[in-house]
Amino acid sequence: MTSRWLAAKTGAAVLTLVFVLIFNFFLFRVMGDPTTQLARLPNSSPEEIAKLRADYGIDKPITGQFADYIGDTLTLDLGISQRSRETVWDEIKSALPWTLLLVGTGTALATLIGAWMGVMAASRRGTKTDDGLLGFSLFTYASPEYWIGIILILIFAVAIPILPAGQQVDPGIEFSSFFAEALNVAEHMILPVAAMTLMLLGQYFLIMRSSMVDVMTEDFITVKRAIGLPRERVINRHAVPNALLPLVTLAAIQFGAVVGGAITIETIFSWPGLGQLTFDAINTKDFPVLQGTFLVFSIGVILANLLADILYFFLDPRVQAR
Amino acid sequence: MKFGAEEQSGKTTTSGQTKVGMALIALIAAAAFGLVTLPALAQDDTSATSTSTDSAGDPSVLRIGWAQDPQTLNPFVALDEENYNVWSLNWDLLTNFSTEDLSPVPGIAKSWEVSDDRKTVTFKLDPEKVWSDGEPVTSADVKFSLETLGGEGDIFSGYTDEITSIKTPDDETVVITTKRPDARIVGGIFVYIIPEHIYGDVPIKDLTGSYQPDLPLVGSGPYMVTEFDRGRIVQLEQNPEWNGPEPGFGEVQYIKYGNQDAVERALRLGEVDMVVEVDPSTFQRISEDPNIETLSSPSPSYTELAFNICPDDLCPDAERNTAIQDTAVRQAIAYAVDRERVNAISSRGTSTPGAGILPSFYTAFFETPEQNYEFDPEMAKQILDEAGWQDNGEGEARTQDGEELSFDLAVRSESPSNIQAAKVVAEQAADVGIIFNVDVISVDKLTEMTVRFQNGKPAPDFDTFIWGWGGDPYDPSFLLSLLTTDEIGSLSDGFYSNPEYDKLYDEQRGVFDTAERKALIQQMVALVQEDMGYLILTEDANLQAYRTDRIQGVEPACPSDGGDLICEQVSYEPLLAISPADGSSSSSGSDDGGGAGIVVAIIAAIAILGGGAMFLRSRSGRRKDDEPLEFEE
Repeated sequence: MTSRWLAAKTGAAVLTLVFVLIFNFFLFRVMGDPTTQLARLPNSSPEEIAKLRADYGIDKPITGQFADYIGDTLTLDLGISQRSRETVWDEIKSALPWTLLLVGTGTALATLIGAWMGVMAASRRGTKTDDGLLGFSLFTYASPEYWIGIILILIFAVAIPILPAGQQVDPGIEFSSFFAEALNVAEHMILPVAAMTLMLLGQYFLIMRSSMVDVMTEDFITVKRAIGLPRERVINRHAVPNALLPLVTLAAIQFGAVVGGAITIETIFSWPGLGQLTFDAINTKDFPVLQGTFLVFSIGVILANLLADILYFFLDPRVQAR
Repeated sequence: MKFGAEEQSGKTTTSGQTKVGMALIALIAAAAFGLVTLPALAQDDTSATSTSTDSAGDPSVLRIGWAQDPQTLNPFVALDEENYNVWSLNWDLLTNFSTEDLSPVPGIAKSWEVSDDRKTVTFKLDPEKVWSDGEPVTSADVKFSLETLGGEGDIFSGYTDEITSIKTPDDETVVITTKRPDARIVGGIFVYIIPEHIYGDVPIKDLTGSYQPDLPLVGSGPYMVTEFDRGRIVQLEQNPEWNGPEPGFGEVQYIKYGNQDAVERALRLGEVDMVVEVDPSTFQRISEDPNIETLSSPSPSYTELAFNICPDDLCPDAERNTAIQDTAVRQAIAYAVDRERVNAISSRGTSTPGAGILPSFYTAFFETPEQNYEFDPEMAKQILDEAGWQDNGEGEARTQDGEELSFDLAVRSESPSNIQAAKVVAEQAADVGIIFNVDVISVDKLTEMTVRFQNGKPAPDFDTFIWGWGGDPYDPSFLLSLLTTDEIGSLSDGFYSNPEYDKLYDEQRGVFDTAERKALIQQMVALVQEDMGYLILTEDANLQAYRTDRIQGVEPACPSDGGDLICEQVSYEPLLAISPADGSSSSSGSDDGGGAGIVVAIIAAIAILGGGAMFLRSRSGRRKDDEPLEFEE
């Protein structure tokens, strides 16, 4: 049963991926003939335009283009950036680690702190602590992340200038050691990660809180308590692990989504990740790069969903039993 | 731990829990460290090309911030205007520009001589010029650059069209012959001279494809690019073979920020020393900082209101309200629009009101036109009355024989200042009975409307629009060419056509004498003013800012009277003249905070991890263990 379940889930993910691939192809074809973009100089001759069309393979019939596209994408050949003339894959490769660093750290912190706050609030339901945490989370959840980012910059980089407001590392420096560089990166990470964490915190808190409240009303908790286990032990040992399930799923799914959602944060903090790459590509209408980043974002979401399913399988015995 | 009785049970319960908690914390810490090191590793190979040591705040490094950076340094395919900032420090032109008035001065060529028939110019090269890799600069490099880069380079085409032959009798002589006299040959060929021994061996297919030049970028200018990390930094260091004046700054860094706000903030925080493109909306505010000096200087660019006046024989399928073809209507529009007000609102007063199709930037050729359409709504009404356009009351379109003075006015959504200008135009024209319907559209749509073809002929589909052009630093031919009949179906977007103008254009182009040429150009300007073929709303300024506690010796240049900070994109000379300010230390806003930032980071990390640990070990706060759990509801 297990393998069939897994195969079904993987199959669904692959199907979605195929759909995204096809959709991505047409999305960028619907937007018109890319040569109008390529031929930025209005006086391009017809020969030049024909050459451009051939260079980008858009002189072929649509079916041929589609075959090329699928073949190329499968071999990680995402085309060449119209602006930099580097391969799109190289551009993505150099930006991806920075996004993973930002999003990974932000998600980890948000999950941890959100869960902690959720448990605090649920176990003190109706108290001022609960109200305070709830209010705080709703506030950060409702605030746009770029607003949070700008406020953080205003406070910690402009009013009290203790932290760098942007970039991932002081530009133009040759570091004496790898450790020095990592430290510098860590310093630059504080504000964007804080913004990311605040952006994500609210949902994790709310999920954890309501999940905890649910679990704590279940019979087995009453039983544990009735047999004389201390309150704290019941919460930590029995309630939290059960309440964590929805949080894990959410975190996994979110991880894929926030890779794309980091666009505004990366732009505000001049963070050289996929978000900034996408933002610049939109500004300069670099379609091959956009197509590439869209694909990476979609794959991120699909893989994260699959991962969430698999995690759930191991965490929740009820799934395995089915 | 003030829980006394619970302590006992606490110890037993936490033992298992603590292990899990500690493992979790260790895991997250390890993951975070791994993630930190991941990009650092990825980036190692790119930063290896840099030979500099710790340079943040190093006073000999000039740090310039910008929000757009070049995407490639390959001159054959680059399309970004920002490339010129970098290239102009790295390479010379055949003749460079005087920082005083932008007239031609020695570049790669030391001297030149124009033949009597003005069709042949003989250049003598400077034998002292050496490429940064030690190779001599020869006439072959010039020939290669003008022919290959001038012929194939995306943004260098057009300058060498008139050249019929380039001869190189010896290493130090270049003889250029043109079809007809072309004054651009001296001072107007904006094609960099690049080393043939580097680019000549690369197949042209690669040069115009995905070729990326090796670093350091071999050149003849005072600096050479030593590091290019797209999206982050372009770093230039002094050319070891440079034998001109010693630069005040040994290194120049162009640092990319995510957006314009971030660039301007970096300047205020001292993370950069200079910003070369300040936004008009923040220009005033920046100048209020005591350590920041701002500079507004003219540039060879303007914002115009264009009319679809393509003659019917050239554009039989043009789509428009034909009332726009009535010269009286356009003249009335010119009188009705207060260009001072457009400037005050659309560019916050940072630009200059337009005065004809030749920007005042071209000091050698500029003169305020006699017919300058000073703001005069009464005159506008009078002209319309005389032309038979019937007044239908304030705010209503005038009419005549079923025609109506109601025009679409297209503007690009990406330009807030153009949109504001359009609103001012519409508001003021309405007062005299000309209605503009402002239509905010994408730049693609606007391009599509202006370059539309039908049955092999241009068929522009618009009434009016607001957009802009930028010209070359010295020679005004490019901007003047936009109104020639030859450019209809190519660059012309106002579709102005006047045989007399075309004749004058051809004539001025072959005149090397400045005074003589100025007279011809003035006639051309006057013609367009009379026909009102193109209404120049504003001449747009270069807005720059720099930190006075970091840079000294700034003298406006290009032109020396009211020019810009470093003669950006045009000449490297002013950059050589500025130097680190006395007493500018190695500290800046961000560096001061460096140590403190780390401390804060560590405290924050401890607080977070500590908090996590406390949570996992906690005795659920103040509540007594024997209190009931909340099962209600």
